[in-house]
Amino acid sequence: MMVSQQLSTRCEPNTGNYTAMPQTPSKELADALSAVAANRDKHAFAYLFAYFSPKIKRFGIKQFNSEAQAMELVQDTLTSVWRKAHLYNNDKGAATTWVYTVMRNASFDMLRKMKSNKEDNISEDIWPLVEQHDNADHEFSDHLENQQIKNYLDKLPQAQRDVVKGVYFQDMSQEQLADQLNIPIGTVKSRLRLALQKLRNEMGDRND
Amino acid sequence: MIKHHPSDALLAQYCNASLPASISVAVAIHLDMCSCCKDKVQRIEAQNAVDVFAHHNEQLQTTDLAIDELSLLDAITADDSVDDVYKVTPQTILVNQQNYQLPRALARISHGKFMQMGKLSRSRIALDDGALRSSLLHIDAGGEIPEHTHTGFELTLLLDGEFSDEDDHYVPGDFMWLDGRHQHTPITEKGCLCYTVVSSALHFNKGLSKLLNPIGNLIY
Repeated sequence: MMVSQQLSTRCEPNTGNYTAMPQTPSKELADALSAVAANRDKHAFAYLFAYFSPKIKRFGIKQFNSEAQAMELVQDTLTSVWRKAHLYNNDKGAATTWVYTVMRNASFDMLRKMKSNKEDNISEDIWPLVEQHDNADHEFSDHLENQQIKNYLDKLPQAQRDVVKGVYFQDMSQEQLADQLNIPIGTVKSRLRLALQKLRNEMGDRND
Repeated sequence: MIKHHPSDALLAQYCNASLPASISVAVAIHLDMCSCCKDKVQRIEAQNAVDVFAHHNEQLQTTDLAIDELSLLDAITADDSVDDVYKVTPQTILVNQQNYQLPRALARISHGKFMQMGKLSRSRIALDDGALRSSLLHIDAGGEIPEHTHTGFELTLLLDGEFSDEDDHYVPGDFMWLDGRHQHTPITEKGCLCYTVVSSALHFNKGLSKLLNPIGNLIY
């Protein structure tokens, strides 16, 4: 691995326009993405799926030299498109550019997992999908004075985080929580156990 | 004003994820401090998207999807939940009685305890990244690093404070890439905090400084 590099002492904006995409149905793609975000519209998503999956697969085969891994990239990317469509901002660029960044991030996390066996998924630390804005999470911060703990919680998968927040910060019983989340109580318990294990590891790491 | 930027080649590699993680983090931090480079990156990403997603006649109609594709489609849409907006809480760290706010890109990546040697303090970033080591490097006011060269390369991104070397005076956001061709003696009047990525031990080349191997090890 090497990086060709010379010092650059100026930042001169490139003024040339990038190539337009005359054959790309830009409006249809952007509309479909918005429909997925607003209405969880499965037809709109099927359209996006049909448009992007062969292209992502071709990109993946180039990147990984493996059809199986290319399909994993298709799956990871389009799952994120389905689950994160609400983060796409129509005013800030083409739908294709947004899907590209989602795919690039998924590809980086996959490569890092393959190369160094790290599943830390840091792509969004490097390429954030959202502009950073003031986060007023009052319901939560009132109960949680220790900023550090909140940071650790942020690292948990959503499902585990919900369980930890419910039990420890909203004083719900595990039964109530199972009810509210509509999951079996066993699942609440196992998520809680995984989350606490992970928190302990994270906090232990910091205190070395 | 920031005078030292990543090269266009490096920005292009950043955009297509072909840089090592620790260098990508350095570029990401610089972008949050330099709107000019950020604009460039957005332009490159838009162009990359055209290259990958322009029409190549292989577009499927929804009705053309094969069985396994349909089942993937169903599997993805079976779960209606959405991912939370990714919130990054600003983190403050204390180094030798001074508070610094960590850059957004480092807020969720953990780092070790600061090890101190004279006016230098270093904390390792927990980025397992092959031969590359990344650190937070703090130099107290009036501190300097003895003249050295680099057998590999050294990337320094000034996060806060200021320092100077034989060539220039640096401000927060300055992105400096040095390799074996360069020699320098960084010195700071008011103190500084840097993010550094080093690919191999530093080489000290002058008189007494040759005895300073421990510093080389600390920084590397």
